[in-house]
Amino acid sequence: MATDTAHGWVDEFRRLTDGDDELDAHGKYYSCSFLLDMEERQFLIRMHAGKVEEIIPDPEPLEHYQFAIRASGDTWRKFSQETPPPMFHGIWAASFQEDMRLEGDLLPLMQNLRCLTRQLELLRVTGAPV
Amino acid sequence: MAPQRNGASQRKGARISPVTGHYVTIDVDGGEYKVFYLENGEGQPLVCQHTAGCHNHQWRDLLEDEEITREHRVIAYDLVRHGKSDPPRNQEWWKEEYQLTADFFTKFIVAFCDALELEDPIFMGCSFGGNVTLQLALRHPDRFAAVIPVEGADYSPGFYLDWWQHPQANAAQVCASGVWDLMAPQSPEMDRRLTWFYYTQGSEAFKGDLYFYSVDHDLREHLSEIDGDRCPVVMLTGDYDYLTTPEDSRRTAEQIRGAEFIEMKGIGHFPMSENYPLFKRYLKQALDRVAARQHAVTA
Repeated sequence: MATDTAHGWVDEFRRLTDGDDELDAHGKYYSCSFLLDMEERQFLIRMHAGKVEEIIPDPEPLEHYQFAIRASGDTWRKFSQETPPPMFHGIWAASFQEDMRLEGDLLPLMQNLRCLTRQLELLRVTGAPV
Repeated sequence: MAPQRNGASQRKGARISPVTGHYVTIDVDGGEYKVFYLENGEGQPLVCQHTAGCHNHQWRDLLEDEEITREHRVIAYDLVRHGKSDPPRNQEWWKEEYQLTADFFTKFIVAFCDALELEDPIFMGCSFGGNVTLQLALRHPDRFAAVIPVEGADYSPGFYLDWWQHPQANAAQVCASGVWDLMAPQSPEMDRRLTWFYYTQGSEAFKGDLYFYSVDHDLREHLSEIDGDRCPVVMLTGDYDYLTTPEDSRRTAEQIRGAEFIEMKGIGHFPMSENYPLFKRYLKQALDRVAARQHAVTA
């Protein structure tokens, strides 16, 4: 995917996240940082109080984040369909049955599971950036 | 038209459900349990077990289904420690870690059916209820007319996790959002949200339930001992279930004499709760097959 298209996704994902009613209602303490590793590209997302603080495409090697969600580009493309096929319809499903991996410190992932789950479903609106 | 049960239901505009709630007290392994159940309908009992960490509202639409309840007395109970069924009243349960076992689970179900004097009940359970349904077919084939394991399999490892009760995470939300994508994304949003909501209410029992689901329940070496001719077994599993996949249930059914398996398309691990209209189509197929098997036995 071309860099400018990725930037288009970054802007759209930020806009949808920051304007989402559910995240607005429940995201007061949604503050954490995580990497979406899509094999072909990576996106580091920093959340603060339910809003996007920063999204960094292809971060430098020593950029800090708390946990990573890694999968092949093909898995993320299926994950990001409007109606994902079976086993690609969530991070639990794809981790149990496909090639997705949850890595790093999983405590903040679990602490923010409600909001994280909602936010990642916005990929069904934006489509995958890879 | 729903049957009118009391004066209040006859008031113009009062929208009172025909479903009624009751308590029955039963004894299991020295424990005294006051068990809450919902019921509606007449005919052959159809006894329903909810999923781990949840309660009988998962069966809310089946309980009010006029077509099903015309021919079946649908009974959906709360397993002890769930919903309105308390832990044992005569034991200091708070001094032990809760870990559900197949022994207790099956004894509880039989004691409940005995207390209600149910004759030839069909037993249907989902997820850990689907697994215990297979345990019932193995241990008590003559107590049940047939069993319908929903999202069940011989073995289902991997879900007995410390995350369900981690002191630094919100257990209610971890349990509810942890099972969120067990549901199909195209199931109606309101029903998925309700199922999520129910799951925020049962986090204290969820992990102990999953001890049975993922650890104690293991029938891999015992499926050939289940006699599906004596107690018909019709299994239902949705294709969005990542925990007990259709392949898991198909493999299980293939090893049980006389068992049948129906794959449900476009639905997940909580079919009766996440998308009842779709689940009903498959449930009717299962009930038809049970009826055919019962008829064949009678003939």
